[in-house]
Amino acid sequence: MDVSQYLEIFIDESSEHLQNLSDCIMTLETEPDNKDTINEVFRAAHSLKVMAGTMGFKRMQHLTHDMENVFQEVRGEKIKVDSSMIDLLFECLDALDGYLNNIKESSDEGTNDNEAIIKELNDFIAKANGQEVAPKEKGSAEKPAKAAGSEFEAKYEDIDPTDTEQKRIAEAQEAGGKIYGVTVYVQKDCLLKAARAFLVFRAVEEIGQIVVYRPSSQDIEDEKFDLDFSFIMSTDEDVDKVIAAAKSVSEIAEVLAGPFEKKEVEDAEETVVAEAEKEETKPAPAPAAESAPAPQAAAASQAPAKKQAAAKPATNRTVRVDIEKLDALMNQVSELIIAKNSLVSISATEDGSYNSQSFHEQIEYLERITTSLHESVMKVRMVPIESVVQKFPRMIRDLSRTLNKKMELIMTGEDTELDRTVVDQIGDPLQHLLRNSADHGLEDSELRIKRGKPEKGTIWLNAYQEGNNVIIQVKDDGNGIDTEAVKAKAVERGVITQEQAEVMSQKEIVNLLFMPSFSMAKKITDISGRGVGLDVVKSNIEQLGGDVEVSTVLGEGTTFSVRLPLTLAIIQALMVEIRDEKYAIALGSISNIEDIPVKDIKYVEAREVIHLRGNVIPLIRLDKVLDIEPREEEPESLTVVIVQRGDSLAGLVVDNLMGQQEIVIKSLGKYINGNKLISGATILGDGEVALILDVNTLM
Amino acid sequence: MADKRIELADKITKQYIVVQIGSEKYGIDIGYVDNIVRMQKITRVPKAQTYFKGIINLRGEIVPVMSVRTKMGLEDDVFTNASRIIILKIEDRGALGIIVDEVNEVVTLCEDEIDKVSSSSRYAKDSFINGIGKNGDELISLFEINAIIDEKDNS
Repeated sequence: MDVSQYLEIFIDESSEHLQNLSDCIMTLETEPDNKDTINEVFRAAHSLKVMAGTMGFKRMQHLTHDMENVFQEVRGEKIKVDSSMIDLLFECLDALDGYLNNIKESSDEGTNDNEAIIKELNDFIAKANGQEVAPKEKGSAEKPAKAAGSEFEAKYEDIDPTDTEQKRIAEAQEAGGKIYGVTVYVQKDCLLKAARAFLVFRAVEEIGQIVVYRPSSQDIEDEKFDLDFSFIMSTDEDVDKVIAAAKSVSEIAEVLAGPFEKKEVEDAEETVVAEAEKEETKPAPAPAAESAPAPQAAAASQAPAKKQAAAKPATNRTVRVDIEKLDALMNQVSELIIAKNSLVSISATEDGSYNSQSFHEQIEYLERITTSLHESVMKVRMVPIESVVQKFPRMIRDLSRTLNKKMELIMTGEDTELDRTVVDQIGDPLQHLLRNSADHGLEDSELRIKRGKPEKGTIWLNAYQEGNNVIIQVKDDGNGIDTEAVKAKAVERGVITQEQAEVMSQKEIVNLLFMPSFSMAKKITDISGRGVGLDVVKSNIEQLGGDVEVSTVLGEGTTFSVRLPLTLAIIQALMVEIRDEKYAIALGSISNIEDIPVKDIKYVEAREVIHLRGNVIPLIRLDKVLDIEPREEEPESLTVVIVQRGDSLAGLVVDNLMGQQEIVIKSLGKYINGNKLISGATILGDGEVALILDVNTLM
Repeated sequence: MADKRIELADKITKQYIVVQIGSEKYGIDIGYVDNIVRMQKITRVPKAQTYFKGIINLRGEIVPVMSVRTKMGLEDDVFTNASRIIILKIEDRGALGIIVDEVNEVVTLCEDEIDKVSSSSRYAKDSFINGIGKNGDELISLFEINAIIDEKDNS
């Protein structure tokens, strides 16, 4: 019996509870009297405790237990929530998070007892109980009243050992061990009974050896028992110790134990304590019980040892999938099978002549199914960004403390979905941007008041979908970027020359911030200013196939817009032809397609532009950009694909449109480099290779 | 014949694929060779290093194709019916195709048939070979694969 199969569930659920706790405590900080929240916190802490106990993580259980106690007092209105308590609670959460991380990595909670935190928690309770003599409610609640004992029978007395078991008992006895029968009752609402049983076995095997299981150990492992199970064990310890060991496992209702003697009906009413006293008078035998042949018991005790040895990452990367999404997938697969069968039946017509019309119908049908199948599979991979952004309010709160600035975070669109791989990697860049906003963006409270702004700064995190992209904006109402200062700094650092600086547009200057090792922080803090910042953000996001844009108004604030592709592997694309070369342009970035007569081309700053419905759009001659032979004769009108990136538009001149197609993106590999124009390649239906244009770098 | 085989087995031998590039014969360590394919349509990749001819579709995988001629500063390839693309498999970096004029044969060379090109020689810096193999009367320049895949441009 091994609890590791529950480990993933445990980690998942614990993270959820921790997040929930963190959210609730944040709420409590602003409204300390919110009854619902207090109850919620209590519940979450309790669940966490119970789960940690189930899995045998005692330190974690201990800490949550004491946290729960504090909330108990808060609930009983004995303690008021104040800021020192909130701080302490956050410390607790961090400690729990530490345990959880250890567990994730090594299936073990680690050895940090966090005694300081536990002591502080207890101080809180002591303070609350200081004035009034606290009734020891806790104790009475934990131990079920003895009166209830009547519903627990000492079933071990009825165990009738088989011959081999009899032999084992005899051997253990000869070796000098004391033989006890033990019956354990788990609580009625206990969820993982088998896990409990395992933990009980593990606990008692620290002091002895189990020789007989009732029901059999296999049945116990498979949870084939009601609420109780019994076993016979040999040990050198007293019966008290056995009971204590078994009871150390949580969710155990009662443990009954006594010396086991075959077929000897004992008085069921006899108290355990009396038994224990009897045992104590016996001489302590030699510790030779180990040699008792109990292969099953040995196997069980190996389990924890094995777990310690294998310090490999204990969890796999998983995606939780909505059952509806799976149903949709299943339906489409069924349809796929039907389509396949139809094709088979067409090809199997007796006269061998294909009915080309029905054949084409089936092909179209197949096409529809594969498209929707692809969509469904992508949806399965999609997870809301919530899992990443939910830790940010806490982070901003902590930043607010360390920076001594008042600020709040407003988040919208947490339910926006992105591919799992993207979501996993977007956390760090976003965190960087938020820190950047908090540190550089927002002004000090005094300065804000002087400037007539609300004292409390605001940071927004907005996420929404736009075509095939997801946009995540990090916006603040701080001072904005002082482009003159950036320029001066850049010149000072020798990044650009004075002459260059003078002709740079505001956008170009802002983009300097994304250069490696360019920090604008006046003083280095542990939050930002080390010069490892925006350039890392940019490269991280570009690795994911996205990009970052900045817009800023001096005195009013800065907005960072992160644009990310919805999916990574397969996209809808428009295939175009330039001379005899074929290129794919992601459909998501295309706004429209126009036929432009050559005479309508105008010139601005010696660059070709077109004036279209009030927009001045620069023209990009793809043949020039891509080093393709120019055309001998310019045609009378040009086919222009208008692409969009954020607010800016550009017109790409192509020769021919070949139509829309779903393409699988393949990497160009590691050899060909320095090529940002091409984001990948794809293989067309006829085996030919087409390159995928990266519109973002073109513009 | 049997004697010769035993003799070979005693010594450390290596097999090379002998290819023709221009008037010279080159040997490629067979351990690096994954495949030899006929010349096919190569899709040009704009702005790539000049010695990269482009990419091809090798059974659903994208494989970049390099012109060794361009890399070594020789005149441009002329594709004929005998032209082949040799697909090299290099650990960590994936497959890479190199264009050769012709594939001749596979030879087995033992150590004393190979003259090492000493690294102190004055050509070593921009040399693409690590030795010269003697196969009867023929001389075979043995490619240093790492020099070929490494980033340098002689064209």
